[in-house]
Amino acid sequence: MNDKLRVAEKELTQEMLRDPGEALRAPAVTPSVPYPIETLVPEVRQQTPAVGQRATRPDGRLHGLGQTKYIDDLAFPGMLHAKIKRAGIASALIRSIDTSAAEAMPGVMAVLTGREIPVNSFGPSLQDQPVLCDERVFHAGDGVAAVAAVTEDIALEALEKIKIQYEPLTPVLDPLEAMRDDAPKVHPPASNIYSHKIIKKGDVAQGFADSYRIFEGRFRTQMVEHVPLEPHASIGMWDSNGRLTVYSSLGRITLGRTDIARTLQLPINRVHIVATIVGGNFGGKNEITQEPVVALLAKKTGRPVKAVYSRGEEFTSSTTRHPIIMDYKTGVARDGKILARQVKLYLDGGAYCSWSETTLGKACILSPGPYNIENVEAEAFVIYTNKTVTGAMRGFGAPQVCFAYESHMDDIAKALGIDPLEIRLRNAFSEGAISPTGQVLHSVVVRESLERAAERFGWQESRS
Amino acid sequence: MTEVKLKLNGETRTASVPPETTLLKMLRETFGLTGAKLGCDVGDCGACTVIVDGASVNACLMLANQVEGRDVLTIEGLATLEHLHPVQEAFEAFASLQCGFCGPGVIMSAKALLDENPDPTVPEIRDALSGNLCRCTGYTKMIEAIQDAARILRAKEHA
Repeated sequence: MNDKLRVAEKELTQEMLRDPGEALRAPAVTPSVPYPIETLVPEVRQQTPAVGQRATRPDGRLHGLGQTKYIDDLAFPGMLHAKIKRAGIASALIRSIDTSAAEAMPGVMAVLTGREIPVNSFGPSLQDQPVLCDERVFHAGDGVAAVAAVTEDIALEALEKIKIQYEPLTPVLDPLEAMRDDAPKVHPPASNIYSHKIIKKGDVAQGFADSYRIFEGRFRTQMVEHVPLEPHASIGMWDSNGRLTVYSSLGRITLGRTDIARTLQLPINRVHIVATIVGGNFGGKNEITQEPVVALLAKKTGRPVKAVYSRGEEFTSSTTRHPIIMDYKTGVARDGKILARQVKLYLDGGAYCSWSETTLGKACILSPGPYNIENVEAEAFVIYTNKTVTGAMRGFGAPQVCFAYESHMDDIAKALGIDPLEIRLRNAFSEGAISPTGQVLHSVVVRESLERAAERFGWQESRS
Repeated sequence: MTEVKLKLNGETRTASVPPETTLLKMLRETFGLTGAKLGCDVGDCGACTVIVDGASVNACLMLANQVEGRDVLTIEGLATLEHLHPVQEAFEAFASLQCGFCGPGVIMSAKALLDENPDPTVPEIRDALSGNLCRCTGYTKMIEAIQDAARILRAKEHA
């Protein structure tokens, strides 16, 4: 049979494909036209015409009509509602999980535990997060079991009937304590310090030796939740060919698709993610959360399954902004010019890595502030603790260090008797300045911005 | 189950729901009106705001049978086929909404305010929106839009 098959030569095939009425075909690629590309590249510090123009959003009308469909506004025939049981204990070994009473409840269609998840780990950089905990609980907001039921109320009631026996472990809640050698390990045997970065420029020791005065200060920020108005929501369903479709409030669908395929041990082309309008992200919807859970519950029940976080779960079980302990040491000349700055950052990473590596990097790079400093040393650690996960949030660590270096600048200005605006103008980056990592900076308008702002709100008048 | 008969966006509707059903759940699940959103379920965020007998309320804090015989207006009942409500029009023109999740609630609060007070001051608008949380826009564009809608509504009144 096979030897009777004739395969045309490649050249012949191409010839045949080309031949019939090639002139009539629309070109596959638009032919290049003389196009003034140069003018489209914005010049440094050039404003585009969009600035100052009123713009309406293409989705604005449906938003205002209440017709925009977010994930929770979608429903499918036969759809079930899923809820996840949260551990409520910061650190523990799971001795047993008894789901029989929940399974026996009328209206409960399926129960899922961590052991049933094909690959029970995920994460955007380190895969250190279980979808549902199976052997160990790493923070109180961890999921330990899930239920799919005909109504959300039944699912919630069923969660109460799942009995879990824990062997409590001593949690570690403070990042500085967690750095000590004798501290309990969050992910044994791994160290609690899971990422580290150091930036050096010049010679800080020499800079401090040359300084007129040296100032030191410790600054702390708290954990912050994104609080998107739309809670995390997802719907999972399978088609008859074994392909999975997930509707999700995910902001990064391609990354999420990879993670979902990995946890379910599916080829990536079996997973279809539909992301609709996201009701607020701010960095908090940049990774998967409950998507594998709804997918597996949908597989068990053969029905679409929807899950929506409660507002409480948004706080305990979604990512948050890193609290950072920031130690600053700055040497200055008599006129307030900064000669050396040493920064140590301790990022409280919570139970899992999430986007900590990105946050660590950005916080570290930006920690010396927008100032010309010849001698800089910035070192940052991100540390596991048995707390809510910290991850991406607007600015990736920049707001925390900004609070610290600006507070520090105020302290220095006050001690030296220099106007807080003046000390910043004396040190601020100017056009062509070089950042601590060696980046040459363009479009630098720190001084101009500060001066204009001071003028606009009457900085000098208020102080005289 | 409890039986509820109400006037919903101008039409008489009935529903049979479990007694613990909230007004929000009935609107979203029984009537398929998903404009009002579940944001917090405890009356803090205002994403579920609808108008009951002229007053803006959190639909997540009201039981379905509390609207028995009453007049309920949701975001879906605001526009007609021909015209958007001036508040909706202004919100679109001023790009007052970003992710839009809080939008239906904010617009309903604004509508309830303008029905009572056709010429509100900025503090009065802020006060009317105090029960509506928005995490994207910072409210400024909403306040501008509500002022603009108030101007248009007043002009229509005089015309």
